[in-house]
Amino acid sequence: MSSKKEYQYIGKSIYNVNAIAKATGRAKYCSDMQLAGMLYAKVKRSPYPHARIVSIDTSKAERLPGVKAVIIGDEKTCPARFGAGVADEYVLARGKVLYVGDPVAAVAAESEQIAEEAVDLIEVEYEDLPAIFDGEEAFKQNPPVVLHEDLKRYNTLRSVPPRLDENRPNVFNYFRIRRRDVENGFKEADLVFENRFETAMIHHVQMEPHCGVAMVDDSGRLVVWGTSSKPYGMHRDISESRNLPPSAVRVIIPTHVGGAFGGREPKAEQIAASLALGQKGYPKRPVRMWFTREEQLSTTTTRAHYIVDIKTGVRKDGTIVANKMRLLLVGGAYAGTGYLTARNAAFGPAANYKTDHFSLDAYGVYTNQRMAGAYRGFGNAESLWGMESQMDIIAEALKIDPLEFRLKNCTDEGDLNAFGEKMHSVGAKECLHAAAKLIEWGKKTKGSEPHLKRGKGIALGNKYSIVPTASAAIIKVHPDGMVELRTSTVEIGQGSSTIFSQMIAEEFKIPVSKVRVLNPDTDITPFDLGTASSRSTFNMGNAIIKASADAKRQLFELAAKELKANPDDLETADSKVFVKGSPDRSLHIKDLFIPMVIGGYTLKEGAEIIGKATYYLPGVIPDPETGHSERPASFYMFVAQAAEVEVDVQTGKIRVVKIVTANDCGKAINPMTVEGQQEGGVLSMGIGSTLLEEVITDNGVMLNPQFADYKIPTTLDCPTLENYKSAIIETAHREGPWGAKGVGEGTMVCSAPAIANAIYDAIGIRFHEIPITPEKVLRALKKI
Amino acid sequence: MENLRLIINGEEVEALIDPATTLQQFLHNTLGMTGTKEGCGAGLCGCCTVMVDGKAVKSCLILALQVGGKSVQTIEGLAHEDVLDPVQSAFIENGAIQCGFCSPGMIMASKALLKENPHPVENDVRHALSGNLCRCTGYHKIVKAVLSVGERQ
Repeated sequence: MSSKKEYQYIGKSIYNVNAIAKATGRAKYCSDMQLAGMLYAKVKRSPYPHARIVSIDTSKAERLPGVKAVIIGDEKTCPARFGAGVADEYVLARGKVLYVGDPVAAVAAESEQIAEEAVDLIEVEYEDLPAIFDGEEAFKQNPPVVLHEDLKRYNTLRSVPPRLDENRPNVFNYFRIRRRDVENGFKEADLVFENRFETAMIHHVQMEPHCGVAMVDDSGRLVVWGTSSKPYGMHRDISESRNLPPSAVRVIIPTHVGGAFGGREPKAEQIAASLALGQKGYPKRPVRMWFTREEQLSTTTTRAHYIVDIKTGVRKDGTIVANKMRLLLVGGAYAGTGYLTARNAAFGPAANYKTDHFSLDAYGVYTNQRMAGAYRGFGNAESLWGMESQMDIIAEALKIDPLEFRLKNCTDEGDLNAFGEKMHSVGAKECLHAAAKLIEWGKKTKGSEPHLKRGKGIALGNKYSIVPTASAAIIKVHPDGMVELRTSTVEIGQGSSTIFSQMIAEEFKIPVSKVRVLNPDTDITPFDLGTASSRSTFNMGNAIIKASADAKRQLFELAAKELKANPDDLETADSKVFVKGSPDRSLHIKDLFIPMVIGGYTLKEGAEIIGKATYYLPGVIPDPETGHSERPASFYMFVAQAAEVEVDVQTGKIRVVKIVTANDCGKAINPMTVEGQQEGGVLSMGIGSTLLEEVITDNGVMLNPQFADYKIPTTLDCPTLENYKSAIIETAHREGPWGAKGVGEGTMVCSAPAIANAIYDAIGIRFHEIPITPEKVLRALKKI
Repeated sequence: MENLRLIINGEEVEALIDPATTLQQFLHNTLGMTGTKEGCGAGLCGCCTVMVDGKAVKSCLILALQVGGKSVQTIEGLAHEDVLDPVQSAFIENGAIQCGFCSPGMIMASKALLKENPHPVENDVRHALSGNLCRCTGYHKIVKAVLSVGERQ
């Protein structure tokens, strides 16, 4: 079903529109901002995982020369709780601290050194409370520790409300699916398999540390710059946590943000805002809050430790008849976006395979660790780690080829998934075939030495995109023909500004250089749900098409009068408007504007040519008891990945010799950008999360908060150029712009099982936990 | 405060600085040459890589005073006005830049490699860049970009 139509700009690998600024070092990030009179902030953090704050003495810090503001979590600074779905968090802890690193006070001073000195002078007396780190313990009906005694009284989000559990006081969200009768399904099955799989807590490791800059402008308004990928989410958090009306806050995200991957909860921005407001008297100076790498790695949002229980019933012929899962997101002290991750981890397993009987219970649970939330894949890399490992266990028992087993059961166009939704735009089979071809499935290779064991593995995954969802776009046509896009999508490196430029270039038939994309600014750029859920191409793309049509309608109405033509007969290209079929009856866009005395241009009417549109897809919120929904997601991106590994049975070291990925993105607006997403997803985050990365803690303290100990893949951990292959599968979506869906998150949702299945093929050992480290390999081989 | 004199991108620079100032801080904060990023402050990510007398140096690990009298080249000095250096062009054309935060350091490390070894093979490139972390690209297009420069010169 792939679209073969040729376009001028769509489907072309044009260079990233920001690449020159970035390659020359001219690109300014939030952390590069300098404002006149800017102060520097530091945070006083809790050394305890759980403690009551008895007293805070800031007097010495306040007396230190150069200190301009000291704030603590009190009624004045932190009047209200905020949160993505559960309002459970204060900007600075009030009453008690809930994790090691929980901010209790903050300082703004003339320099970072003075601020740091002042933080050391703040004296906090704590009363230690028992802490809980074990997810199963926290999940219990009568858990030894309850983090949020008032959980039931917290405000919650109306649009996608979290569901609490009467009997489990640490559960911050519960989601379930019940399709037919799973217990009957197991009776129909010839064989039943039951396993547990887990993933370690990991970090996004965005290269730009988290940063916020805030100031109070001359009208008393709060202006905050930050690195958040959800400007309107940040805007809500900042206004809600201070009981400020939304119009009293302005959020600006610079043109360049150094990576996000889901983990940009705006904590640095929140603290900067509090310090900007918290200065006594006037002038109130701008404040910069920049987290050091250690702070970023040890206190900001993670991908949770996940526990995945899966029980699967199959017939001897390889038909999956029943699947029962329990997903436990071992969350942190605050729910954050984890409230939704806990729920939406269900979507990958619900859509991967046709299964008559399906039951799933997904929970998010509080523990005394920092927040766990959104991370590329939004819970589905974790849930599919379980499901796709399980698939290989079953395939082996049934003596069916793992590829064949997946092809037999995977969903296809028109199939019902576990929600009862009729699937559309399903590239599962094409992805599997493409990945198998690229890895040369079925062809055995051998290591060069007897102790180097080789194997191949394959896995299938999918990633949904969120509903309810909305993106708005404003398009302004300038007198010189420049077309400007006002969007709140954040350019985090994924290439959104580039593909949006291509879309507008296509709509207006102008070169990409005649398009300008503004950076998000809540005073200027309209609402967008956020640069998350791989949703920008689809949602903002649709908004851009609609807003372009609106702008062109205005353009044609103005031009029609000049050209004495019907607006419906007009077209635009190269900054000109002309009558279809009579290109000589044309005018330049600038001719619609009248140059004025003193300067500037005016239209005779209508002020400006501004097109605007919202793309809104409410979807259908799943039934709380059965999970039934005809539209629980806007679309699904399918992916198949395959790996060849070499395991050194003497050292336990695992080398990914070759890895391949096939991603169904609907339509690649810019194939080079899609490749970039695939490469980063598979090679950095896929390999990293499977083999290297783990946040190691002791009593809530992170033991490896620097790159020397928290290892992300380097150039040497990735396969050679020749041994990495990718395929772009284009299964057009009927509602997608040019058929496009998305790509970013699908790129790592099945990397771990592909690699682990290859390890099993190499040495016959099934690992149930990632990362699979040399130590774990040697233990499994009983060598240590 | 101490007096510092050095050459930056071919221009003589003189300044009075706190002796504890690192070269990265001096470039980024004092001179406003914000292309030299701080990613970790511990010499582990490579975002702050510059060239000192032609060799790649992690500028967060060295005091500004230690490079007194030496010649420092930063990312801002690589292009001549609007004519890009071949390494910069290769990064752009190969799609080797995503969020761009590692790019200045990555480009400077590549430049230093190509100066020493004008025709590197893939393994040379991977070793030379192994101290520069990137989270977006998986290094695939970065390695390709650097090799393409080597092949062209």
